[in-house]
Amino acid sequence: MAWLSRWASLCLLLALGVGCGGLATAPATSAAPGTVRIYTSVVQTTVDPVVSGFQAAHPGSKVQVFRAPTGEINARIAADRRAGQVKADILWGTDPLSSFQYDQQSLFADYKPKDAGAVPAAYHTGTLWGTRLLNVVIVYRSNQTAPSGWHDLASPEFKNAVALPDPGFAGGALAALGYLSQAPGFGIDYYRSLKNNGAVQLRAMGDVTTGVAEARYKAGMGLDNDIRTAIAKGSPLKLAWPVEGAITFYSPISIFRTAADATAARAFVDFVISRQGQQLIAGSGWQPVRADVKGPAPLGAQVSPDWTAIARRQSELIAAYRGVFPG
Amino acid sequence: MGRRLCAAGALVLLGLLVVLPLLRLVSAAAAGGTVGLAAAFDGPDLAALINTGWTALAVTVLAVAAGTAAALLTERRRPPGRRWLRVAIIAPLLVPNYVAAIAWQRAYGRAGLTDQLLGLTLPGLEGPAGIVLVMAVGAIPLSYLIIAGGLAAAAEPDRERAARASGAGPLRAAAGITLPLLRPALVAAAVLSFATAASAFGVPQVLGSPAGFSTLATRIYRDLNFATDEAAFARVLVAACVLLVLALLAATAADASLGRGRDRPGGPAEPGSGASSAWALLPVAFALLLLVGLPLLALVLEALTRAAGLPPTPANWTLANFAAALQGNALRALVNSLLLAALAASLTVAMGAVVVVMGGRAARAVGAAVTASFAIAGSALAVAVLLVYGEWLRDTLALILIAYLAKFWALGHRPLAGAADRLPADVFRAARASGAGPIDMLISVVTPLFQPVLAAAWLLVFVTAIHEVTMSSLLYGPGSETLAVVVLNLQQLGDPTVTSALAVILTLLLALPAAALLGLRPARSGL
Repeated sequence: MAWLSRWASLCLLLALGVGCGGLATAPATSAAPGTVRIYTSVVQTTVDPVVSGFQAAHPGSKVQVFRAPTGEINARIAADRRAGQVKADILWGTDPLSSFQYDQQSLFADYKPKDAGAVPAAYHTGTLWGTRLLNVVIVYRSNQTAPSGWHDLASPEFKNAVALPDPGFAGGALAALGYLSQAPGFGIDYYRSLKNNGAVQLRAMGDVTTGVAEARYKAGMGLDNDIRTAIAKGSPLKLAWPVEGAITFYSPISIFRTAADATAARAFVDFVISRQGQQLIAGSGWQPVRADVKGPAPLGAQVSPDWTAIARRQSELIAAYRGVFPG
Repeated sequence: MGRRLCAAGALVLLGLLVVLPLLRLVSAAAAGGTVGLAAAFDGPDLAALINTGWTALAVTVLAVAAGTAAALLTERRRPPGRRWLRVAIIAPLLVPNYVAAIAWQRAYGRAGLTDQLLGLTLPGLEGPAGIVLVMAVGAIPLSYLIIAGGLAAAAEPDRERAARASGAGPLRAAAGITLPLLRPALVAAAVLSFATAASAFGVPQVLGSPAGFSTLATRIYRDLNFATDEAAFARVLVAACVLLVLALLAATAADASLGRGRDRPGGPAEPGSGASSAWALLPVAFALLLLVGLPLLALVLEALTRAAGLPPTPANWTLANFAAALQGNALRALVNSLLLAALAASLTVAMGAVVVVMGGRAARAVGAAVTASFAIAGSALAVAVLLVYGEWLRDTLALILIAYLAKFWALGHRPLAGAADRLPADVFRAARASGAGPIDMLISVVTPLFQPVLAAAWLLVFVTAIHEVTMSSLLYGPGSETLAVVVLNLQQLGDPTVTSALAVILTLLLALPAAALLGLRPARSGL
């Protein structure tokens, strides 16, 4: 029995020792001048090169990143606001929905980045600036005949074999719902035809691509970047760009009104929109928002939902959708 | 004097770690007014509440029954290969819940292992039946560890032997003697299984969404995505409070079933008699193969395969996924996670022991409070901790530690309380009468008597803390990333092969202390 107490005390001593060290070396959380604090849901492999690029271009600058899925970011902002104000200078989101809603609550400052002219009008507002474009397209198994458009997913060829992301969870899915529910020839009836054809609702966009890769489904509604990455690794998948156009949404960056160091925050936004920042984003696999920077290119038309309308009618949209796909 | 001091200390800790965050949560939920409350009880959310209740109940029944049977088998029947059997029974504990769901899908789902090899899939895997099954398998080790610990600490093989000698069959002896004696351990196992299942997020998320089946925890997580507006955020908080009430009800009901006054003579445990033959083990081995072996195999194959969807044949094998899983700040996160888990385990077990020595009504109140905070979905508890301590401890490991202590205190407390209920109160009284302070009592009474339970509780907290996802991903800051954060970042990349690789690494990592615990145990006291 003595071994247990000895072992437990050893564990405790070790843990306390390392712990004190760990706590002591935890970086100061107060924002020193020249520090940019970022909340982001953008994937690590994109954030990392952009942050290093910014620091190389601005020697001496500090960047603190809190990266988490959209839900955690929102919870953190909600907790911050209850305790006073948001403890970040920048929000860099994956899809515009949350940012549009925060914008309606006047959380963001107006800003016009240096290269504002290079960002197409469809992909920015006075407070939200697109940084990259994400395309909702069709993913299908490479042994299937290629679907040409969204209606093919409701055809007998894909009976009981289509996966969809949940618009109550994934911003990309909500973008698709927002667009398709208004598009002529689609509407909520389109989702009903998918349901009648045995389509299954999963959660995240990535779940769909994985599910199709693993042959649980033959086709689905996926994100172009996910699909290209999986294909590059060797998954038996293909990407079909719908004839109606891919449903495109932008990953927005905004500066909080309460930013501790607005100058540093503006410099970061400038960098992300700059040619160099855009090249880094393109290099990590995304279509850059600037047409004058080379990167993964669209394979057809791109259509965009009306985000102001979606942000306003979100619960109504989802309620209509839930009437077809409960969950 | 010393006892009072200890009791006061425990209550202060309880107030700071559990009661304060819970009150903050309830008050924040109430601040939303009736809007949130009404929203929480309209159609689909009521369905989610009912789903949560019945799946958690079903998981509890299955897990406690199987855990009891397994504990009786390994601790009383002394089957051949007992040590390996224990390892196999505990194995599901080492796989994080959300990964287990993926592993089952790859083993038994459409286009999974058995589908490819035999054309067989498990009907109902994606849906409530599958959720209950996978969560129950995951909860068996919890029941098993607590009940085996209870058996080793206090059950009386003499009485069982007496019953057997006077002609009772093994089943009658178990039902008539062993199980009633084990009741406190069974209650502890049941309460913890229920709370775990009620707040579980990973399994219902993976297996429930294709079937349109949601629980309170998955709903909380989903609603957070739209928590930009106050009403949605209030809905999250209200749902968390509903979980809290559910847990309080379960804990109170379970504790009430224990009744009072169980002053039974305790005694050091000896391994039971009656070795089983190897043949009797065949069904057990078969069940372990199906419930544990195949899903783990599927996980390892996925981790070894170059890309999702390729056949898992040697031509497609690679170690690149393991390298990818360990790149970046994964190593630092690993150190953080180990440190947090060790601290959380040691502190919760110590706090559990102190409260158990305290005994009485205070201990029962602590038991109820910590069970409530255990049953709250992690993301909501993390919000509460952030609201209370975010100002001072932002971005530190200490903030995550507070959340872990609030969440896992029940795992340290319940098994010990379950075992202590089995002890004659005389032991403590005698120790006190002879002038032992609480610390002396911890060292001279609790530690030796509860050694197997202490080890079991420590292991439970340690492993659960290592797997923890939802709280640390909300609370971490620069430098205090945990493994969970890294896992989530990988999952967001949508690459199941890398996630599986990390899960395999985690499993191996956790298998080491478990194996050490098993290997170091003297054969005498079982566990």
